[in-house]
Amino acid sequence: MATLLILTLWAAQTVKEPTGIRAFLDSHCVDCHEGPEPDGGLDMKKLRGDLGNAESTARWIRIFDRVERGEMPPRHEERPPLAASRAFIRSTGDWLRAAERQRFQTLGRVRARRLTNLQLERTLHDVLGVDIPLAVHFSAAPRSHRYSTVADGQPMSRYQLEQHLTVVDLALDEAFRRALGPEDVFSKHLTAEALSRTDAKKRTREPEMLDGRGVVWSSGLEFYGRIPATTASEDGWYRVTVRASALKSPENHGVWCTIRRGHCVSGSPQFGWVGAFEARTEPREWTFETWLPRGEMIEIRPGDVTLRRGTFKGGQVGTGEGGPQDVPGIAIEWIKMERFHRGPGAAEIRRQLIGEDIRGLMTRFAERAFRRPVTNREVDPYVQLVEEALDRGEPRLTALRGGYRAILCSPRFLYFYEQPGVLDDHAVASRLSYFLWNRMPDAELLRLAAAGEMKKPQVLRAQVKRMLADARGKEFVRDFSSEWLDLNLIDFTEPDRRLYKTFDVVVQNAMLDETHAYLQAMLDGNLSVTHVIASNFTFLNSRLSRFYDLQGAANASNNDELRRVKLDPGSRRGGLLAQGAILKVTANGTTTSPVIRGVWVSERLLGEEVPPPPQNVAAIEPDIRGAKSIRDMLDKHRSVSSCASCHVKIDPPGFALENFDPAGRWRDQYGEIAVDASYTLPDGTAFKDVDGFRSRVLAQPEKLARNVAQQLLVYGTGAPIGFSDRQVVASIAKGARGSKYGFASLVEGVVTSERFLQK
Amino acid sequence: MNRRTLLRGSGVFLALPWLESAHGKAPPPRRFVAMTLGLGLLSENLNPKKAGRDYEPSRYLTPLGDLRKQITVVSGASHPGVTGGHRAEASILTAKNMGGSSGARNSISLDQYMAKYQGIQTRFPSLVLGSSGANSPSYTESGAMIPAESSPSRLFTRLFVDDTADQRKLQTQRIQQGRSIMDLVQDDSKRLMGELGTGDRDRLDAYFTSVRDLENRMAETEGWANRPKPTIDAAPPVDNGNSNDFISRQRLMSKMVALALKTDSTRFITYHLGGSGGVIPIEGVSEGYHGLSHHGLDPDKLAQLALVETEIIKAWGDFLRDLAAVDEHGVSLLDSTAVLLTSNLGNASSHNNKNMPILLAGGRFKHGQHLAFDQENNYPLPKIFVSLLQRQGLETNRFAGTKGTCAGLELV
Repeated sequence: MATLLILTLWAAQTVKEPTGIRAFLDSHCVDCHEGPEPDGGLDMKKLRGDLGNAESTARWIRIFDRVERGEMPPRHEERPPLAASRAFIRSTGDWLRAAERQRFQTLGRVRARRLTNLQLERTLHDVLGVDIPLAVHFSAAPRSHRYSTVADGQPMSRYQLEQHLTVVDLALDEAFRRALGPEDVFSKHLTAEALSRTDAKKRTREPEMLDGRGVVWSSGLEFYGRIPATTASEDGWYRVTVRASALKSPENHGVWCTIRRGHCVSGSPQFGWVGAFEARTEPREWTFETWLPRGEMIEIRPGDVTLRRGTFKGGQVGTGEGGPQDVPGIAIEWIKMERFHRGPGAAEIRRQLIGEDIRGLMTRFAERAFRRPVTNREVDPYVQLVEEALDRGEPRLTALRGGYRAILCSPRFLYFYEQPGVLDDHAVASRLSYFLWNRMPDAELLRLAAAGEMKKPQVLRAQVKRMLADARGKEFVRDFSSEWLDLNLIDFTEPDRRLYKTFDVVVQNAMLDETHAYLQAMLDGNLSVTHVIASNFTFLNSRLSRFYDLQGAANASNNDELRRVKLDPGSRRGGLLAQGAILKVTANGTTTSPVIRGVWVSERLLGEEVPPPPQNVAAIEPDIRGAKSIRDMLDKHRSVSSCASCHVKIDPPGFALENFDPAGRWRDQYGEIAVDASYTLPDGTAFKDVDGFRSRVLAQPEKLARNVAQQLLVYGTGAPIGFSDRQVVASIAKGARGSKYGFASLVEGVVTSERFLQK
Repeated sequence: MNRRTLLRGSGVFLALPWLESAHGKAPPPRRFVAMTLGLGLLSENLNPKKAGRDYEPSRYLTPLGDLRKQITVVSGASHPGVTGGHRAEASILTAKNMGGSSGARNSISLDQYMAKYQGIQTRFPSLVLGSSGANSPSYTESGAMIPAESSPSRLFTRLFVDDTADQRKLQTQRIQQGRSIMDLVQDDSKRLMGELGTGDRDRLDAYFTSVRDLENRMAETEGWANRPKPTIDAAPPVDNGNSNDFISRQRLMSKMVALALKTDSTRFITYHLGGSGGVIPIEGVSEGYHGLSHHGLDPDKLAQLALVETEIIKAWGDFLRDLAAVDEHGVSLLDSTAVLLTSNLGNASSHNNKNMPILLAGGRFKHGQHLAFDQENNYPLPKIFVSLLQRQGLETNRFAGTKGTCAGLELV
């Protein structure tokens, strides 16, 4: 039935095929594209002349693109006169745009978009004042056109709704617990004695007392360094402060340690990441914030795989067994743990949720949850639900809770309220708020919406600045890059330890921090999008600069704090392109593939969508032993014309990055064979390595800007780039010329564009 | 049992012999398990050279010698018109092409089709499981993917760990309140559809349907909430935190599948074994599983991939043996459970969706044969689905537009 509905929606089109374009196709295309087996499966005679369905529209766009890029008719065929091609491109383009505009006008470009898992978590936090993790209770949501915000890919069935209800119940339980109970207060100071093993004679995996400090030696032993005295008796956020120093530190650096949380027993072996620090001979204090579920404890241990490791028999460590082995260790003086909350205190939560005036409570709650003013009629059913429950004799709190529960299951909470045409002020406030914060609009945005100010360009610009400068705005680059750059997949594979011996979880986390800090610097400084490809700085700590083997940078980043570091003029590490996190998510842990990296860079960084390979084309994979080089295999591949049109885009970035291994380090050799990162394009121009590739790309900065604008627009509005959106994207990029295509200018350009302000 | 749910099954007639008798005379219920692989199986190691009953076991089938009479190997079959390489994972049990234009909407999967008519007999109408992540081959009627449960220990808790009396009371109260909330939200959804125009209607309609389905589900659950869960003498499983340890995860989850069937907690289970990227800890394997599947005919990769796939098939065989060892009134659990092992990829290296690997075991078919269809002009796999539906006692003669049962696949 739903399919039928879509068909009827499409059929509402009335825009007619322009005259003259058939004549062009007849004289230049049908020779190959006709009959029982037309080239590329495209039979022009069967092509429908209406844009009434997705299939034929996609066909026409493809034809437009191929002619516009000069790829069709192919080079070896007779070329149409330039004027004829231009006329064809103009009328077909106008036609496609007009049809799409009409559809957007009546139906909307974005249809019934719903909050993502992350947006639901943060919105429930805002509405209820709670701070417990909620998104983890949802199944991972599919991403469509790269982003989980895109409405087309957002699933809805009773399974999704059931999970939603479970999460709503968790959040409500916590809100009522907070509102009714005493404030959560907890603080504990653990001396070295208290955090070490209780019986010095027993062989265990807890720290041992040595000279008044709790000591853990470098070792591969699982759960060694666990501290049972830190076990949480209640779920909660904890601030953990550790004072510690290094023992037998290596000469040129300190002892990098990991802090993780878990049950730390083989029956429950999973760990959560808390943080890392570099201990030195001088004691220092470090503070970390972590969610700690009841029953989980903290584990602190040397966590740098390049450190020498001690060996201990039988899976346990006896007091005094580590010292003589002369391996590095960590000596903890004390640990302090305090519980804290993010967001409002108990009194404020109580004020919002509990009271006598049922209609007042429900109305205020619904206005917050629905992110817009509500009428009495809209609230009536919810008020009625609570009153009926009270009439049945249900306790007041149960009845109120039921009312909130119902409001949080309403589609007005779960979905964006966007009417066709130009959005109203509240819809713009919500769209902007979820774009930059992934949370509901705050008081100021709602005030501007109520005052009818929200769509004014100067107001929008000022709000973008305010929101990004706000603490909540610091999540923006993190949230956006987790999907744009696939950084949420950084855990997906683990580089093979036998091949990439210096990679560890400390390095991985430092890589993520590097990319986040770099994007934040681009945003804060309104730096040009060319920084995606190249720059003379990055962010490093001592572990990462050692991993990258950046000697020059090492001095500037000589401790565990991430610092902005100027790169040597000859360094190849500049730009997102060469950051470890990017190189890791584009490899599979064991090998790199120029095809996979090439497609990724084309689509994410250069803005060139690569269609999937045609059926029955054998895939090509690298052969690191070099029996046949991937270059030879791809050369053969490119000689087939149906492969060549895409591989000309894919291969250059793919080969340029071959000097970076799957763990993100520079390599000159694959084992015995030298890496060749050079590439010659069909027009005869060539580059030697990644720097040559950079120069080529940097010659077209506006293209990079169009890509970033496009990614932001899809992520921020929840719809893919349609044919008529291309012009909007181009004008956003053009509008940022004055700032040399600054990242922040592009964000502002997207927010003030007509597309952002329309359904 | 909810009458409304039963009545929704118009057009298909129910055969519920085991419902009529709780005295052990009725035959045990029929079950269906689908295990789906994200990265295929090498056909040259899987499919015997010879068709028929006297085939020589292939490399992968050799360790399953004792199960020969319980297994049918099918080659040369696939879903008509289904393309899209990895994207066809969504089509494995629906037979609907999701590889074409991006606007396609999926249709109901085989397991959910069965659960829709027969799932109400058990605490869980169906279970949707996975080795890692939420991906599954199970789709609702409206085409939404049902997210997979990937934690054996969480599943164990849902299946076998009883709530306390207080929790149960709260649970019941919340279910009752939930039902009136769902009523209210249905009305709100209708009003909202009117406000937001035709463009949003189909998605809000999906929401409306979800609300109605959840209300029905709550009505079913209400009855189960106060009944104790089955007691078993198995220790709760420990989840394997290493996402690369594909085989251990497969074995552990397969144990849970067997437990769920043994205790009649559900009768319909899908278990998706998606391809992991990392190196599977098997002697002789040094490259990532996904990378190996793109072998490009490299002999070393093929050799390593064969080691991985042999372990997958062995673990599957042990699962079948587990079922075969359970006796219900003289019928083995394997005889009452049809088990399908398949993948969307007939050739992972070229992302080809033709010639899917297909092993069918149990469920009282006349097994012990290799049904070899045309490699060039594939036999429609939905015909096997129709055979499976009829095996369940569902009197239908088509699935996803394909009519008729699978030639040569006879019921015992």
